[in-house]
Amino acid sequence: MMLLPIFLAIHAVEDDSGLVARMQRRDPQALAELYDRYGRVTYALILRVVRDVGIAEDLVQETFLRVWNRVHGFDAQKGSIGPWLLAVARNRAIDYLRSAGGRERNALEFEETEHPALYIDMEKDILSADNARKIKSAVEKLNPNQRQVIELAYFEGLSQTEMAERMGQPLGTVKTWVRSALKNLRDDLGAVVPA
Amino acid sequence: MNCNELRDHYEMYAIGVADEPERSEIRAHLNRQCEVCMEGIKRAREIAALLGGSATPAVPSPRLRRRILASAGGGDRRFGWAPFLAAALALSLFAVVYFAGRERDLGNELSRVRDINRQQTIELTRVNEAFAIVNGVDTTVTTFGEGQPQPRGKVFVNPSQGVLLIANNLRPAPAGKAYEMWLIPKGGKPKPGGMFQSSPEGSAMHVQRGPVEDTAVVAVTLESETGSDAPTSPVLFAAQVSGLQH
Repeated sequence: MMLLPIFLAIHAVEDDSGLVARMQRRDPQALAELYDRYGRVTYALILRVVRDVGIAEDLVQETFLRVWNRVHGFDAQKGSIGPWLLAVARNRAIDYLRSAGGRERNALEFEETEHPALYIDMEKDILSADNARKIKSAVEKLNPNQRQVIELAYFEGLSQTEMAERMGQPLGTVKTWVRSALKNLRDDLGAVVPA
Repeated sequence: MNCNELRDHYEMYAIGVADEPERSEIRAHLNRQCEVCMEGIKRAREIAALLGGSATPAVPSPRLRRRILASAGGGDRRFGWAPFLAAALALSLFAVVYFAGRERDLGNELSRVRDINRQQTIELTRVNEAFAIVNGVDTTVTTFGEGQPQPRGKVFVNPSQGVLLIANNLRPAPAGKAYEMWLIPKGGKPKPGGMFQSSPEGSAMHVQRGPVEDTAVVAVTLESETGSDAPTSPVLFAAQVSGLQH
């Protein structure tokens, strides 16, 4: 019985790395399985950012194709494909918002595959409905200013400088709100985030 | 900048909105495999990934999956098999319904043929009985109703085998009624000789098997279709049996 969690953990890693290996061998069925696993959460995230069903579907397609075309550079032994996929999805969506708003796009051009080890295996945490409720609850516990800066940063991709301009607040004040909001989230989500 | 100074910027970097110079500093730390910053960014990306999962659940259209797989150069096996499976299922259902229907139809047809066969057997038996009476060496023939528009025909009486009545111009009996033949001995009471119906064309053939040595008159009345032990209505027509040996 004590070996069950270890077995499940090993099994999950094998699944994930096996999926990446099959994608790297250009097996389209592996892409289908990736979509079946992450398609909904990816779509929900992008739709939350762009708020348009048609554009969201186009960006989901672009996201999965980007992952499909770049998967050869992804080391599944070091990182997990799910969080990487969501990072790509969010970047595509924010990038679209920036283009549509005439904003600079390079603020988000951080390397998506440069450090795969930073995308640890969080498949169960991301896809867990229970965790989604905890995260929502943690965000709702923030005060309105803290919640607004997190929303602007995560779902609109604004830098702290851009947030200060948008909110008409001093940059120092915004930085304080961001710091305190992130600290509260870290504290609240400490039990959710795997150590 | 040292790791301690960068700590509060990990999350902003993880979601791609860190300001300069912190952004470049963190990237430099990561590029030189700084363990503190690697661990800090890993934790920050966990928060970022979880925030991504906090978006309100939404379901894309089913065609998006096909679009993605098609654009990646692969077919959708799930949907590729679906039409074949659906067709096979539909074919199987059709076959079940078709053959069940066929079996039911064949069963009904068989039952109908059996009914016809049974009816024909009865008719054949009646015809054989009629022939036996007609061809009997001691059968007498009596004609009745000649020269009248109303029922006319012949009565064949064989003392040992029975009576054959053949009539024409005999209207079908009203609903709930039937014709009953009576065998009347000389000076005796009429004895029931069986019920019969007339065809829509007005013809009738009735056979009563059994010895009829003492019959002097064959008569017909209209009775209830359940039959009577004695005539309850006037005689419609009668034939005087002649030539019987008493």
